[in-house]
Amino acid sequence: MSCKKPTMRYAVLALSLSISVGVGAQEVSGSATTTGKAMTASPAVSQAMLDAATQDAKSWIHPNGGYEQTRYYPGAQINAGNVGKLKPAFVFQTAVLESMETAPIVIDGVMFLTTSFNHVYAIDAVTGEEFWHYKHKLGPIVTVCCGNNNRGVAIEGGKLFMGTIDAKLVALDAKTGKLLWETQIADPEKGYSETMAPAVVEGKVLIGTNGGEYGVRGFVKAFNAADGKLLWTFYSIPETGHEGVWDPKDATGRDMHRDIAAEKAAFAKDSSFFQTLGGGVWMTPAIDKKTRTVFFVAGNPSPDLYGAIRPGDNLYTNSMVAVDLDKGTYKWHFQYIAHDVWDLDAVSPPILTQAKDKSGKMVDVVIHGGKTGHIYVHERNTGKLIRFSDAMIPQENMWVLPTKTGARMLPGANGGVEWSPMAVNAKARLAYAANLHQPMTYHVEESPYPGGKLWLGGAFKTIPGEEQWGRLVAVNLDTGKVVWGVKTPQPLIGGVLATAGNLVFNGEANGWFKAFDAMNGKELWKYNCGAGVNAPAVSYMVGNKQYVAVAAGGNNQIDAKRGNSVFVFALP
Amino acid sequence: MILRLFLPAAAALAASLVLSLPSAPAVAQTPPAKPPQAEICDACHGPNGNAVIPENPSLAGQTWRYIYIELKDFSEGRRTDPVMTPISKVLSRDEMIALGNWYAAQKRATNQFKADSAKVDAGRKVSDAVLCPMCHGGGFVGQNEVPRVAGQNPEYIRKQLQDFKAKRRTNDAGNMTSVAHTLSDDDIENLSHYVANLN
Repeated sequence: MSCKKPTMRYAVLALSLSISVGVGAQEVSGSATTTGKAMTASPAVSQAMLDAATQDAKSWIHPNGGYEQTRYYPGAQINAGNVGKLKPAFVFQTAVLESMETAPIVIDGVMFLTTSFNHVYAIDAVTGEEFWHYKHKLGPIVTVCCGNNNRGVAIEGGKLFMGTIDAKLVALDAKTGKLLWETQIADPEKGYSETMAPAVVEGKVLIGTNGGEYGVRGFVKAFNAADGKLLWTFYSIPETGHEGVWDPKDATGRDMHRDIAAEKAAFAKDSSFFQTLGGGVWMTPAIDKKTRTVFFVAGNPSPDLYGAIRPGDNLYTNSMVAVDLDKGTYKWHFQYIAHDVWDLDAVSPPILTQAKDKSGKMVDVVIHGGKTGHIYVHERNTGKLIRFSDAMIPQENMWVLPTKTGARMLPGANGGVEWSPMAVNAKARLAYAANLHQPMTYHVEESPYPGGKLWLGGAFKTIPGEEQWGRLVAVNLDTGKVVWGVKTPQPLIGGVLATAGNLVFNGEANGWFKAFDAMNGKELWKYNCGAGVNAPAVSYMVGNKQYVAVAAGGNNQIDAKRGNSVFVFALP
Repeated sequence: MILRLFLPAAAALAASLVLSLPSAPAVAQTPPAKPPQAEICDACHGPNGNAVIPENPSLAGQTWRYIYIELKDFSEGRRTDPVMTPISKVLSRDEMIALGNWYAAQKRATNQFKADSAKVDAGRKVSDAVLCPMCHGGGFVGQNEVPRVAGQNPEYIRKQLQDFKAKRRTNDAGNMTSVAHTLSDDDIENLSHYVANLN
């Protein structure tokens, strides 16, 4: 094997020491290996299929079910009356024993799933037999704050698209797993990486970036699905104007204890920090084809806790943002927390649905579940906040400022609703959110930009002796009232699936995967997967049989027991 | 974005998973030759990166990225040391990376330190409370630019924590200085036993 740059090659090797968990000897980086039967199907997803996916009970072709991201499966073969009989149909074991956050997609009886370190598998969605396995060849530098995760692929035509932890976008042949092209999205040495599932629409692949803990400049980029060429970029941090309106209050009207005068004085001295202000966009955007709009949420400013170095509202961090689908130009934004110093970023993916406005009229809305523990309901065309829900988890001492010795505030820095996608049952008028409760103290420390290293500007610390738990909550879209809530013994991270069978599926870090009555939260079924279920479930139909699939790989962030499997369930 | 969540009950399991990683690369490759620049490092860090002077860190098995970044920080003034600063200033970027790669490929010798079991238990509790594993990884094996500290010499661990606390070392982007700010001397002593004992 020739090697022009032995030092860098060995850097790759060094990295692979930590990522080669359980990989078979026949695996070759950067290529696909067929280890099972040949794929007879030729998966091909048209734009019309992508547009209609939310109503499609046969397939699951978006990570969150459709461009609307309701995570609502319209089939009802498995329902509240028979879910108690649900049994495993098969278990697919990947070769990677590490955190799994994947939302599999299913088309023509083929399931595509991902693992940590950017492996992709194509398997038979009925038997679990493997068609092919692609292992991304990682570059020498990977910079991720919270695990080497991947949340799934997008599909269009016969191509799959995946973001990688070394900040690349790759396109694969869905039938063979062969690499078609790859493009570098941003520089991983500066803290950029990809864990989100992209969205693909009309030949454009949309993807954001991680990096809010490293001083990146966040963005959403659109790439040509045919060849990976960049089409447009929308920076979630504008070069000018990121100081905003110096808002003293949060979205719910609570005072945030900002020293606006001091911030303005600091801003007058230096406003050049937009390149390191953070604002990662790290979950899949929603898309409204009718209005040609992309909706995404932007994450926390950098550094997380030390705000004095970045005066102003830090737009568009901690915001819902709407941009033009065709040009990537600004339409509107709504900021939940201006000048955040608690890492309570906006991350759970936006959902397009309908809700009553304040006059009682049903209107198009976009909603977001916040780390604050509120679900926010916005007018879709303007971003105007119609309402925010009851707090789904305890809030206390908001918004106390971080101190050197630590200030206690609830929620802790993880929320509320973390990256976990919510689900919506529009008929029931309910949104379902996976919450966590983790008391923390917030500590601040002065720190200049450290050149691509983890840049918190302080620390978060849990409080010994204080209980941590999770809560699955149903909220009425039209009133914002909590209709039911189920407390879980461990914090919830992973995401929710709702179905027309009046069911809600949700996983827990202790291995339980459960089904609840959508109307009242009554537990109807459970199965222990033996490892943390910290990924969102999906559902599909092959032949005349409905299946429910979920990954049980544990989770790096909450240190949930690791596994390597996707469990698939069906009625006997 | 960051998730700083920690479930103490799962910690030991996570550590055992990480520690059970294969020690050989997936694809056989010839290890890099010792860079000539490493010769000067031998006196303090040991001929194979296993330090014999307790206050100095062992570099064998350290992540290449951490070594590279620390050399860069010494060179660019974000971290200072009367010995390391002048040494780093004559290294090129490629030489820093070569050193990182070489030390990362060396085998870490088992720590012979006899830890106090009570201090190990107390140190584990401190580690859980201040969320050490979220950055350093389960088992303190390091990730990305965050160093492996498992099995380091306790004297070195103590010195670094005390330096962070006193802000004698400040190239940590505020993370470790903030963590160390509320650690007592006993906490630091207990952590040094716990982490040094993680061979």
